[in-house]
Amino acid sequence: MTSTRTTKLFLTSAIFVFAAASHASAQAPAASQKQTPPPGGAAKPFNVPAHESYTLPNGMRVTLVPYGNIPKVAVSLAIRAGNLNEPQDVLGVADITGELLKEGTKTLSSQALAEAVAQMGSSLSVTVGADETAIDVDVLSEYGGRAVTLISDVAMHPLLPESELARLKANLLRQVLVAKSRPSQMALARFRKLLYGDHPYGEILPTEASLKKITIDDARKFYAANYGAERAHLYVAGKFDVAEVKKAIAAGFSDWSKGTPPVLNVPHPKTERLLDVTDRPGAPQSTIYVGLPVIDPTNPDNIPLTVTNALLGGSFSSRITSNIREQKGYTYSPTSQLSRRYHDAYWAEIADVTTAATGPSLKEIFGEIDRLQKEPPGAAELKGIQSYMSGLFVIQNSTRQALIGQLRNVDLQGLGEDYLKNYVQRVNAVTPEDVQRMTAKYIKPEQMTIVVVGDKSKITDQLAPYAALPETAK
Amino acid sequence: MYLTKRSAARVLALVMATILAGLAPANAGPVSAPEFKVPVEYYKLPNGLRVVLSPDHTSPIICVGVYYHIGFRIEPRDRTGFAHLFEHMMFQGSQNLGKMEFIKLVQQNGGILNGSTRFDFTNYFETLPANKLETALWAEADRMGGLAVNEDNLKNQQGVVGNEVKVNVLNSPYGGFPWLDMPQYANTNWYNAHNFYGDLKDIEGATLPEVQSFFKTYYAPNNAALAIVGDFDPAQAKQFVAKYFGALKSSQLPPQPDLTEPRQEKEKQAIKKDPLATKPALALGYHMPERNTPEYYAMGLIDEMLIEGDDSVLHQELVQKRGYTGAVSGGINLLGTPWNYDGPMLFITNMIHDPATTPETIVQTIATSIEPLRTKPVDQKMLDRALVKLRSDLYDTIGGQGGFGLVDLLASFALFDDNPARVNSLVAEYEKVTPALIQKTAQEYLRPENRTVLLIQPGAQAPPAATAKPAGDSEKKQ
Repeated sequence: MTSTRTTKLFLTSAIFVFAAASHASAQAPAASQKQTPPPGGAAKPFNVPAHESYTLPNGMRVTLVPYGNIPKVAVSLAIRAGNLNEPQDVLGVADITGELLKEGTKTLSSQALAEAVAQMGSSLSVTVGADETAIDVDVLSEYGGRAVTLISDVAMHPLLPESELARLKANLLRQVLVAKSRPSQMALARFRKLLYGDHPYGEILPTEASLKKITIDDARKFYAANYGAERAHLYVAGKFDVAEVKKAIAAGFSDWSKGTPPVLNVPHPKTERLLDVTDRPGAPQSTIYVGLPVIDPTNPDNIPLTVTNALLGGSFSSRITSNIREQKGYTYSPTSQLSRRYHDAYWAEIADVTTAATGPSLKEIFGEIDRLQKEPPGAAELKGIQSYMSGLFVIQNSTRQALIGQLRNVDLQGLGEDYLKNYVQRVNAVTPEDVQRMTAKYIKPEQMTIVVVGDKSKITDQLAPYAALPETAK
Repeated sequence: MYLTKRSAARVLALVMATILAGLAPANAGPVSAPEFKVPVEYYKLPNGLRVVLSPDHTSPIICVGVYYHIGFRIEPRDRTGFAHLFEHMMFQGSQNLGKMEFIKLVQQNGGILNGSTRFDFTNYFETLPANKLETALWAEADRMGGLAVNEDNLKNQQGVVGNEVKVNVLNSPYGGFPWLDMPQYANTNWYNAHNFYGDLKDIEGATLPEVQSFFKTYYAPNNAALAIVGDFDPAQAKQFVAKYFGALKSSQLPPQPDLTEPRQEKEKQAIKKDPLATKPALALGYHMPERNTPEYYAMGLIDEMLIEGDDSVLHQELVQKRGYTGAVSGGINLLGTPWNYDGPMLFITNMIHDPATTPETIVQTIATSIEPLRTKPVDQKMLDRALVKLRSDLYDTIGGQGGFGLVDLLASFALFDDNPARVNSLVAEYEKVTPALIQKTAQEYLRPENRTVLLIQPGAQAPPAATAKPAGDSEKKQ
């Protein structure tokens, strides 16, 4: 989340191996000579760390999670003000407003604000997403109360200064232009556009024309319309003085005006077979996005579908990854995902594959989907995935930032207090037949959008079979 | 049976200074920092394996890391990228686990795993539910004991690694900038200056006998450190370690080549054309002081003051006041942390900018912004703030990634310093840095002659920026 050290993550992972499971090699020692791995001891119990939630009189929600022994505390204010809330004619205004929040408050200049946060051992981070804007700091434990006070000041009394607008717009424009040169961003943007059309979820990179139009009044209007107590949820997690933090919350946020309730605008994404190719002459790889809209996270099939995704393409040992990486060597880091927004989700397989293997990769991806539609996975294969997901759940609930992430998702989607408590049990209740049924019901190739960014002159022929559906599938 | 033993009692307690000065909002004033240290128990097996234990019962998980003292820096000269390709091979099969069975074993026991290749080590690590410690140790000992791979495995991973280089470098705008590029331009010694990811030709040319010989040379217990962090019983862990790693044979390690870099006496400049990039970019690299010297710690704080966080000097000057860029990035060791390397290193800062701002303008602004550090003692308040940021970063590293952050520190310090307890005395070392030492360090290491300037010129329409007009502050945007 937020740290003063902001730049290392992608670099550190640059030379990481991402691996996947496959068959034992032919020349490995004979099975009879092999030792069996020790199974380990009895499992230790795990409970999601307890949290305390309450609502201020103005409607703002608060969740406190005392956790861990690292002397740091994360403070995160999630506000239901995202790209979803942008007026059509000023796309990008949510992002600009988010950036403007860092430009000072009625009592602190931007530099004083930056120095105040640095003195607590953090940076102020504002992240604008499809549904929410999050204001985050991650400070040394002794500054928990002060961090809450500071975030309340940023959220409630921002200066939104006109003097900084041109610079922030230039920054955002530069970012968008750089993003548009990255094949992964190009493919994602096309995929979202094709799926969601004119719905705000379909525009992940605002145009230059749209950005240039944004005025300070647009940003101030956006702030007035979308920021307020009723749209906000404050999370505090880590090691902190609970009484002091509660006092700071009451003092800092009680005067925030209620504002308006969240705007609901659930999209109706497209479910037709479509092939879309963006030319990138000379590209040594094709970037593939192939997927379709699926059930939203409140559907009872959500957890069986999540297990299905992990088995099909969403984990190291999944079928698609085993196939196109470990057997064929077509790609380095293929993955399938369930990408979610408020009461909305799509499934997609994403891979950067050697140009010559573009058609063959699609063939294998569809082949693995077809196989899982026709035949349930073996019990042992499924059990392996369930154990993986059960363990992962513990790991995912083992840092203060991850805990906030889990709780934020539950709160945004309205999944209920028991969701995290029952998650592992529900994962393990999924049967092989459920996985087959989920694949057949939701992962339907004939409804998929296929986006490819690559060298058109080399891939057009390879992609020809996927341009239209075979007659039998229509 | 242990050659060396350092008990947790020897661990230095952190002496936390109370750090706070003027500019905080409303309720400013001193707040006392709590003491924080982690348990560290260190010993060696008779075969030379360095073992570090650090229990933490916060969550029922454990993290196991095995670090081999072989990084890409000293890989074979005619085989660039070999250390990293080899890392992939360690997932392809060992004595008792066939191709990718290692990965299945970890995943099906509810864990996650990875490996990575860095300047001075290659590591393998897994985070698992606490009751699976023995399983993890058995599996890591199994692959330390022997590799069982064939031509098909190698061919497959040559394809995978080739695709990795394509996705991260060859098919990516700013691919390799500046993390892979800068060491090649700034350094002069081949070991520090070659292409660590590897030329595709070298990767494709690697042979199975080379893989086997590399394993035999470097993958031995006396060239490795094992760190265990999380919810476990140390006495039991020691039994498992002895049982599974105790019988492994040590090897005769080759002598370490000379890794030193000469003092840089003249500024270097390099231009890289990037047909995929849409905006120009710029990076500055400075050779670092030798690791663990007083100047090294001073440089850590200079990094915090100059480029880490929105309060930093370069963020304020380049982003906030002049709008030359949206973000100043960089740091010490872009392929890791300031703490996990063991040789010459660069301090790098980099940014993407608009063509309207010339690189000369930016370089000049950076030089002007840095100059006060070189000419007078730094303001104590600014130094104090740098220390708070550093302490906060260090705690994030210790607490991060399911125990892996701490594993990384402990294993690195065991491997490079024979002293993993350093994790608990790091803050005290940074606290010794005075404004006078900052100035002395900046004078030597932030010399213009010590820097390498790397420019990225985008696409075919690259402007003739390198020969543009002299730099100055005249192009302020506000």
